[in-house]
Amino acid sequence: MSIFPKSLESMEQALSASTLRQRVHSANIANVDTANYKSKKVDFQAALDTAMNNQSLSSYKTNDRHLSFSNESSTDKTEILTNSSTKYNNNGNNVDMDVEMAELAKNQLWYNAVTERVNGKLNSLSSVINGGR
Amino acid sequence: MSLFNGFNISASGLTANRMRMDVVSANIANANTNRAELVDGEWMPYRRKTVELSQNGASPFANQLQSVINRGNTSVSGVKVSEIKEDETPFTLSYEPEHPDAGEDGYVRSSNVDPLKEMVDLMSATRSYEANVTALNASKSMFMKALEIGK
Repeated sequence: MSIFPKSLESMEQALSASTLRQRVHSANIANVDTANYKSKKVDFQAALDTAMNNQSLSSYKTNDRHLSFSNESSTDKTEILTNSSTKYNNNGNNVDMDVEMAELAKNQLWYNAVTERVNGKLNSLSSVINGGR
Repeated sequence: MSLFNGFNISASGLTANRMRMDVVSANIANANTNRAELVDGEWMPYRRKTVELSQNGASPFANQLQSVINRGNTSVSGVKVSEIKEDETPFTLSYEPEHPDAGEDGYVRSSNVDPLKEMVDLMSATRSYEANVTALNASKSMFMKALEIGK
């Protein structure tokens, strides 16, 4: 039996997905004046799927005694998509500053919320370990 | 660590925008410079400089390599000043025969700096700088929050 709840693991992945999104939005903001830069975003559905199902890279097995990959890090599966269909600026750049700022704030709040929950879980765990004292 | 990477990306944006501000400052300061460089024994006025930005590591090969390494994912990286270009628009001419820099026809060539353009560039650089500061602060507060885990 593991003493750490399963949800702690998925929250850990949620945090790393959030970190990745933060990085992508930072890059979009930094490149807001770069000619021909196309805005990027993290595929949220893929990030959610990995966080929820805790699935990692699946291996192709021809025999059921084959070993599966279990230590693949989950953020590898999250995809960064490039939006190259729109044109926002004269210089071919399509970063929408308002969207980026809103996403940045949203992501920050989400990160804080997940951190809060991780703390809650750890606190209840320590309460159990101390026998309710 | 990947959150520190976000710090670096925002920092590259700050550096690039400060560079843009420096170039704008130089342009405004030299708006009336008639003797910027000596070409074939003749003084040339100051030419307006512009900054060209590009994505960090944006060479087609580097992009391709990164996307193969990341299994089809596009890479995220900061921004850099790839080149400081000279504006090739013609110099402004004014008829001042008594001016020491006047040519034989009595016209004086002066720099092609347009203060209006410079002010607009300055505003744009300032706003981008502020946006990068906001992104940096967001990353920082996330990091501080992460330090609270397990307290």
